[in-house]
Amino acid sequence: MKAQVRLWWRLWCAQWRAGPVRMLVPVIALALGVSLATAVQLVNRSALAEFEQAARRLSGDADLVVRGPVAGFQEGLYPLIARVPGVAVASPVLELHVTLADRREPLQVIALDPLRAAQLQPRLLGELAGERRAFFAPDRIFLSARAADTLGVRSGDRIEVLVGSSRRSLEVAGQLSAAAYPRAVGLMDIAAAQWRLDRLGVLTRIDLRVARGADIDTVRAAVARHLPPGMSVAAPAVDDARLASASRAYRVNLTMLALVAVLTGAFLVFAAQALSLLRRRPALALLRALGVTRGGLARALAAEGVVVGLIGATIGFMAGVALARWMLGAVAGDLGAGQLESLSGALIVGPGDATAFILLGAAMGGAAAWLPGREAATQPVAQALRAGDASAAFARVRSWRIGGAVTGTGVVLALLPPVQGLPVFGYASIGALLLGGVLLAPAAAGGLLGRWPAPRAAEARLAIAQLRGSSARTAIGFAAIIVSFSLMVAMAIMVHSFRESFIAWLDQALPADLQLRLGQGGGSATLDAAGQEAAREVEGVARVEFRRSRPLVLRREAVPVQLVAMEIGEGGVPALTIVKDGGPVPGTPAWISEAMEDLYRWRTGEHVTLPLGGGHTLAVTIAGVFRDYGRSGGSVVVPRAAYVEAGGDSAANEALVWLHRGAAADVVVAALHARLGIGEALQVRTTGEVRERSLRSFDRAFAITYALEAIAVFIGLLGVGVAAASTALSRRAEFGMLRHLGLLRRQVVAMLAEEGLLTGAIGTGCALLLGGVLSLVLVHVVNRQSFLWSIDLAVPWGTLAMLSAVLVVSAAAAALIGGRAAAGGDAIRAVREDW
Amino acid sequence: MAFPRDHGSHPAFRTEWWYATGWLRTASGEQLGFQATFFRSLREEAAGNPSAFAPHQILVAHAAISDPARGHLWKDQRIARAGLGLAGANTGDAVVWIDGWRLVREGGSFRIRAPATDFALDLALAPAQPPLLNGEAGFSRKGRSPAAASYYYSLPHIEVRGHIAREGRREAVTGEAWLDHEWSSEYLEPQAAGWDWVGLNLDDGSALMAFRIRGRDGGVRWAGGSLRTADGRLLHFAPGDIAFTPRRSWRSPRTAIIYPVEWLLRAGDLALSIAPLMDDQESDTRATTGAIYWEGAVRASTGGREVGRGYLELTGYGEALRLR
Amino acid sequence: MTAAPPGPVLEVTGLAKRFRADRAPVFANVSLRLAAGEYVAVMGESGVGKSTLLNLIAGLDRPDAGSVCVGGAELTTLDDDGATVLRRRQMGFVFQAFHVLPYLTVAQNVSLPLDLLGVSRQEVAARAAAMLTAVGLGSAAARWPRELSGGELQRIAIARALVHRPRLVLADEPTGNLDPRSATQVLALLREQVRAAGGGGLLITHSLAAARTADRVLVLSAQGLEPLA
Repeated sequence: MKAQVRLWWRLWCAQWRAGPVRMLVPVIALALGVSLATAVQLVNRSALAEFEQAARRLSGDADLVVRGPVAGFQEGLYPLIARVPGVAVASPVLELHVTLADRREPLQVIALDPLRAAQLQPRLLGELAGERRAFFAPDRIFLSARAADTLGVRSGDRIEVLVGSSRRSLEVAGQLSAAAYPRAVGLMDIAAAQWRLDRLGVLTRIDLRVARGADIDTVRAAVARHLPPGMSVAAPAVDDARLASASRAYRVNLTMLALVAVLTGAFLVFAAQALSLLRRRPALALLRALGVTRGGLARALAAEGVVVGLIGATIGFMAGVALARWMLGAVAGDLGAGQLESLSGALIVGPGDATAFILLGAAMGGAAAWLPGREAATQPVAQALRAGDASAAFARVRSWRIGGAVTGTGVVLALLPPVQGLPVFGYASIGALLLGGVLLAPAAAGGLLGRWPAPRAAEARLAIAQLRGSSARTAIGFAAIIVSFSLMVAMAIMVHSFRESFIAWLDQALPADLQLRLGQGGGSATLDAAGQEAAREVEGVARVEFRRSRPLVLRREAVPVQLVAMEIGEGGVPALTIVKDGGPVPGTPAWISEAMEDLYRWRTGEHVTLPLGGGHTLAVTIAGVFRDYGRSGGSVVVPRAAYVEAGGDSAANEALVWLHRGAAADVVVAALHARLGIGEALQVRTTGEVRERSLRSFDRAFAITYALEAIAVFIGLLGVGVAAASTALSRRAEFGMLRHLGLLRRQVVAMLAEEGLLTGAIGTGCALLLGGVLSLVLVHVVNRQSFLWSIDLAVPWGTLAMLSAVLVVSAAAAALIGGRAAAGGDAIRAVREDW
Repeated sequence: MAFPRDHGSHPAFRTEWWYATGWLRTASGEQLGFQATFFRSLREEAAGNPSAFAPHQILVAHAAISDPARGHLWKDQRIARAGLGLAGANTGDAVVWIDGWRLVREGGSFRIRAPATDFALDLALAPAQPPLLNGEAGFSRKGRSPAAASYYYSLPHIEVRGHIAREGRREAVTGEAWLDHEWSSEYLEPQAAGWDWVGLNLDDGSALMAFRIRGRDGGVRWAGGSLRTADGRLLHFAPGDIAFTPRRSWRSPRTAIIYPVEWLLRAGDLALSIAPLMDDQESDTRATTGAIYWEGAVRASTGGREVGRGYLELTGYGEALRLR
Repeated sequence: MTAAPPGPVLEVTGLAKRFRADRAPVFANVSLRLAAGEYVAVMGESGVGKSTLLNLIAGLDRPDAGSVCVGGAELTTLDDDGATVLRRRQMGFVFQAFHVLPYLTVAQNVSLPLDLLGVSRQEVAARAAAMLTAVGLGSAAARWPRELSGGELQRIAIARALVHRPRLVLADEPTGNLDPRSATQVLALLREQVRAAGGGGLLITHSLAAARTADRVLVLSAQGLEPLA
């Protein structure tokens, strides 16, 4: 046994000496795949870990968290909950975003009772040791180092916040360490915040510690009995999940893409191994003849794959960690397509990660080598020793039946619903269609080549004959192109469709000249009636349409829904991208985004009562469904008049502004700022500016997707190159014979180029077709199920044509470069080489 | 003073406490000390804040059991702002509480409950004697400045019945306690570092309270005390009548603070040796009141014969005490 | 090609070749004349330059001295393309390792030289079929090389070497990979077909038995080409 291992080792090393590049390619392919998977996984995990940490830091060691609407709930609930038997500690919390004067981004403020919170978060007490008394004073705020940094203030400075239409000044009482509070956040005493930030009587959260020995579920049930509708109590783990779910779909997308890269890498290992075994078939047969058993041979070949996998995965893992570090630094880990706040960028890598990924690589290497290895091992020795050809080896892969069955499965999978909000079957469908495509493509290509009109030139005829005849090599060449390019085509179509639909939506959503917003992200600033009147009177302003936009929690586990009260235009239809119009409805109409259909199962014509907080409700009838790319958590549009009537909230925090003809936008913007006097918290942008910014952030969000695609295609081209080079090497004798028969050197080259072109063209054609099918699954299944919004299919013909041309030319070039050397002088000598 | 009104809270004063200490005896004959204290402190920072959470009054509760078998205290503490019914101190009669911890006077006796983390007190304190008004009819000076003073009465010789629990083991106890109720806006002079205080239920039915205020300079700034005999005669001691003489010290292994735990106390004609139930009765309450002090059960004896039991309090031995 | 012009099929004069200037030449002063219809065997020890001689005659390598004349055309003055075209028209090859293309059918393999010469499709089919019949594989036209034995493969190679009726057939160890029985059959077929085509044949071998099937046997050595003693 030991001797055999040594023999294999020696043979393997000899192969490396003989053809280092050839041996390196599968290693590189696997390394690329593993590095991508590693990077995406690590960035995702670091982002999630930070989420969890942040959530845990804020809720301390709470066993349960009571939550209600984002706008908060009555504090009277707090003593009731605190007295529930089994509740040891109840810590009231008021979380809010305050708008700062002169700042666009709101500041997250967490207001709590430090005396209560300290029982849940001993760390908090440590932070504030000795300053607890300072905490009690109103108008005091403690800032995290990051917040102090962003705002450019220090202890003792004052910051101005906008509350409603008035200004309040807060003293920065101290700084919280960055280690404990990595994000930008301000801490205040709950009484001070309730008073100074106009939230008297309101809480947004109660953190609970269950008494020692009490059963959490029993306590939860007891607490739940005290909660009014719209509120719930849950373990903080669920809370973390809710935070994370906002970006989950996007992250799953990336993970899948990374897995595709790994699979493509594994496929390349498979291809390279298969080709290398074709080449080594006589040598292997010789080993069999010399007494290596069939099983021993198969195992040894699989072991080779494992070694390739180990090396590739080790390199890949290290590259992946570097890539992840770069991604966290450069993109600040924003994998949430803007749905997450930027992160501190601490990469978490455990020893378990290295083990997992390297083992994954080894397993894939072994698996990829297993099939061709077994094939080689079961080959009759005598035949393999004698004949050089191995076309029969792949005959079974060319079956229409298996390919058809796999493709059919893919189609069926695409019709299945999501699992826990994730398009699991959609991805499975893509996998099946891809495999089916790879299986069907050689057969389809064979059929196509069979019907190909025979060209005049002998070398062209030879090229076609060679492609039709040696199915193994052709199949690998095709598959490499199809696997990588069809995915790229699908992603390109999906992203292009998304972008086109996004632009159309943007144009629809921005009908005016200016867009005016107060304190983004649920900030506290609003425009009261006087402010609204003032805005209307600014010179150059023709018309202003005010909106009130605020979050609405309809169900706790879900991201809050955005309620937008806007003016409803002529015919009772708002300026939205309506995808389903229910026509006029009795009573107050409301329009819902597509996500509402999926998340809340609301339908047109349905009557719904919206809880506006403070005991107010608004009864509406769903009049239609619109597309909303702005909020994946769902949004509801109601007429502003009805909203004001129902809740008495006539303030506005968004507005569309139409200008008089000839009025200069920048002059009006300046005038609005001056007139309203709320500094930077008031954001006025021209429609063009908003459009440009939105598209830029769209493109940034998808930049990482493009990078992954490019790498997948690169791996695919590597595959074509490997197939071509390996083919050319094993065909040296053939070229020599043809030269003897009188084929000119350039005719040999032309033949190779034509083979490459044909492989590239047919492979690209199949990939375009398959990619088109895959894009349908991506657009209508994966996208719809992940993001809950629809996209209109739009094909980027120009891009696809260019990419196809590049790919075909690259394939031809790869074939040519691989073959050119082989067609040279020593080809003539190769004729006399025996096998 | 008027009762029951003055059993209740006096929210206009800055500082107030209800201080119950005493000796307990379990069914198995164990001798234990206990302490249960509620503090109230008025905060002016939040004046004008209409929020229900506004920290106008902060309440603190301490509870401890002196258990010689354990060698150090069972102790726990709570702190909360008054409000929303979860913590508070009522006026009119003694009702003061933080969550489940409470001291309530009902039917003439005081009920104390302190469900602490590792142990619990659930005691009924039935005073057998009327309130003992310290100082001048309850006005007790604490320093050379007349402003440094408190309203202060004691209830000695209280019969105790109830239960304690240690790590879930619940036992019936009986014993004798002492309850102090004191409120003030300016308790200590700035020059004061801390005090030594002792309250003793003497076996002959009399009760002795003695204290001295130590200055930051190491000298004695003030002293005072009261003695009520079994037949109800009340004696007030002037500063010169009281002498605390340390006899033995104990060094805390946790804080390295050195406390004189054995004393020779002279109060008027009375001379008593004071010795602790156990040495380590130190309380670290930095999380609530900010102080580290020694508060423990002591025996009083004359000529080697035990004549009474009570509690000794030693503050300001580490850092000067600040009452805020 | 259809009718052999008079004159020698192959005229080699004073051929010399050395691979490195500091080494002794592989051979020097090799001369050979092959008349139409003549079938000559060249023997020699391993390493004596038999393959080099063949490459020089095929125009795949250039001599240091001397000339090679095939069908009256001086090969040494032609460039690579010229030599290739000459080879395509005037020569046929049989190799030790058969070199039958695995991805072409038997008939397609045999048709290769005619395809290269641009012969019309009908004529290619007819001539390939006739040639296959001549080598006794008329029924195997549509079969794939992997289904055939070594002897059959070499017969296909012979058909391919002669299907365009070359003036000169060069066979390099055609029986090296065959069992004795197949070898005998292949040698007989080769000789018969060379004769039938009316051109010249040059058989390179190190087997005396094989060489004896030729009209005359020459031995290649460093000194040149001499008749077998």
